[in-house]
Amino acid sequence: MSSRGLIVGSGAAAALLVLVSLALGGASYEPAGVGDPCQSRQWQPGSGLDHVAQQLSLSALDGAACELHVSRETLVISLASPQGRQAFASDPQLADSLRAGLIKAIDDAESSGDLPGLVAAGLREVVANLPADQLISTIRNAGGLLGQLGVDVPSLPNILGG
Amino acid sequence: MRTALGMAVGLVLADSSVVVLALPEIYRDYNVSVSAVIWVLVAFNLVLAATAVPAAAIARRVGPARGAVAGLGVFTAASLACGLSGSLAVLVAARCVQAAGGALAAGAALELLPAEVGSERRAAIVWAAAGATGAAIGPAAGGLLTQLVSWQSIFLVQAPAALVVALAILPKARAEAGGAAIRAELRRTGRPHGAANLALGLVSAGLAAALFLLVLLLIEGWRNSPIEAALAVSVLPISALVTGRFAGAVADVRGRAIAGILLLAGGLAGLGVLPHASIPATFPSQVLLGAGLALVLSALTETALEGRAPQAIHGGWTLAARHAGVVLGLLVMTPVFTSDLTTQRAAAEQAGTAALLDAQISIPEKFSLAQRLADRLTAESGKVPVIAPAFDPLPSAPADRAGELALEADLQNQLDRAATHAFSASFLIAALFALAALLPIAFARRATL
Repeated sequence: MSSRGLIVGSGAAAALLVLVSLALGGASYEPAGVGDPCQSRQWQPGSGLDHVAQQLSLSALDGAACELHVSRETLVISLASPQGRQAFASDPQLADSLRAGLIKAIDDAESSGDLPGLVAAGLREVVANLPADQLISTIRNAGGLLGQLGVDVPSLPNILGG
Repeated sequence: MRTALGMAVGLVLADSSVVVLALPEIYRDYNVSVSAVIWVLVAFNLVLAATAVPAAAIARRVGPARGAVAGLGVFTAASLACGLSGSLAVLVAARCVQAAGGALAAGAALELLPAEVGSERRAAIVWAAAGATGAAIGPAAGGLLTQLVSWQSIFLVQAPAALVVALAILPKARAEAGGAAIRAELRRTGRPHGAANLALGLVSAGLAAALFLLVLLLIEGWRNSPIEAALAVSVLPISALVTGRFAGAVADVRGRAIAGILLLAGGLAGLGVLPHASIPATFPSQVLLGAGLALVLSALTETALEGRAPQAIHGGWTLAARHAGVVLGLLVMTPVFTSDLTTQRAAAEQAGTAALLDAQISIPEKFSLAQRLADRLTAESGKVPVIAPAFDPLPSAPADRAGELALEADLQNQLDRAATHAFSASFLIAALFALAALLPIAFARRATL
């Protein structure tokens, strides 16, 4: 093989490898980015208490994260540690962001038709008066929030039309 | 004798990379950071670079066969000390001594080879090929020993091997005259070939990434065992050996050097833009890297040695250039990839949390799983976690079961993406190092390279 042929062949092989890797997605092979919590996520269709509770929790996290100008995931990670939960329970501004997130979630559920207006109004009242130290557990367990209306929780899917 | 000399060079230069697959075990055993354990590699290469030329001069002064035996003796003793070391500091110190002994043995071997193979040019080719083969085979051999026995066994196996080689050279050392004739010859030492040695250093900086980062990616990033990693990276030396057999067909060293550099840069860039996390995805890059290694190291070493006397001194310069390059590569790329690992760990944590939040599983199962995953992260103490145990046992409810299986696949995908991406910038920097080697070749006079 000639010297020139060897150089051209080697350069072509190197370029081909890189181009094929890029074409197969090599430039973007990295962890998925996280969404903007201030952009409304689509309310997932479904029925039953568990579904409504999940949607309420997720929407509440988005709302609180948007208030705090962090991602929903950053908020969840900070709430996972005892120190993080203590900070949210003891700081009125942080607690207010959680409360705002819950109110937004109730608004979203009402808009989507998953919560009747009367139930939504009752829940807003409950959230507005919740002590700061109960806000986190309420976001984690929105089913419990529904139970605070004084209705039988297992029967809620029926009340909600599930 | 020719085999013994080749083995001496191969053993010494394999040591610059043989511990690569053992580094994760070493830093676990000694409970140190990646930045600290890297000195097991850096110290060896640094001392080899610093002592290669003086060691070659000493070998010529005392007689090359005597120098080879003495160097291998020191190498043997230091290898034993490495294998029996009880702390990172002792290991690094023993590695320094090992490198000094190795430099003496490798330089002396080059001085002895022309008499064995018939010409200085042929000696340079055999010497360069033995070194390249050793460096390429080193990681795989080290990986096999690490998993089958222990990382200490890498050094404990080297010791008797070096001793056997020393004993094979011993009769020649006893018969060697040494002394005045060789001292007189020292005056003829010419200047080292600047362009070839500079290019060798830059190429070696890139190769350090190929041999070190690829192994770390396979073991620490993708969680393969050392044996799996050893088998995976064996594509590179196989490619180097196959290419080496045909490299001589192109007589023009400049053409071989440029082609080799292009292949190295392409292979490294290919590793920097891997489209998914799997061992076969690394094979095309390894083929290019092996072929490039065989072409460029032989071409540049031949050029650096051709027409220059004494061979041992100029061989010492090539060793110094290569191992200084390895040190440069490791020192530049280690902080880059350790920083990227931290960044990607956070990105994976965010992506994993998003996947968990959006998973189609019930809230109680979601919280239970989140706790188990958090426990896995704690248990792995900052390393890329093995998440499968967190999903065992799977829930009995079919909907949750399907949801958890989908989530496990998604989380593993995010971890693979993060681990792979953490090495991307370093591989691309390594590719730039390799490409930079074209500059000294471009500026060298055509007649000399």
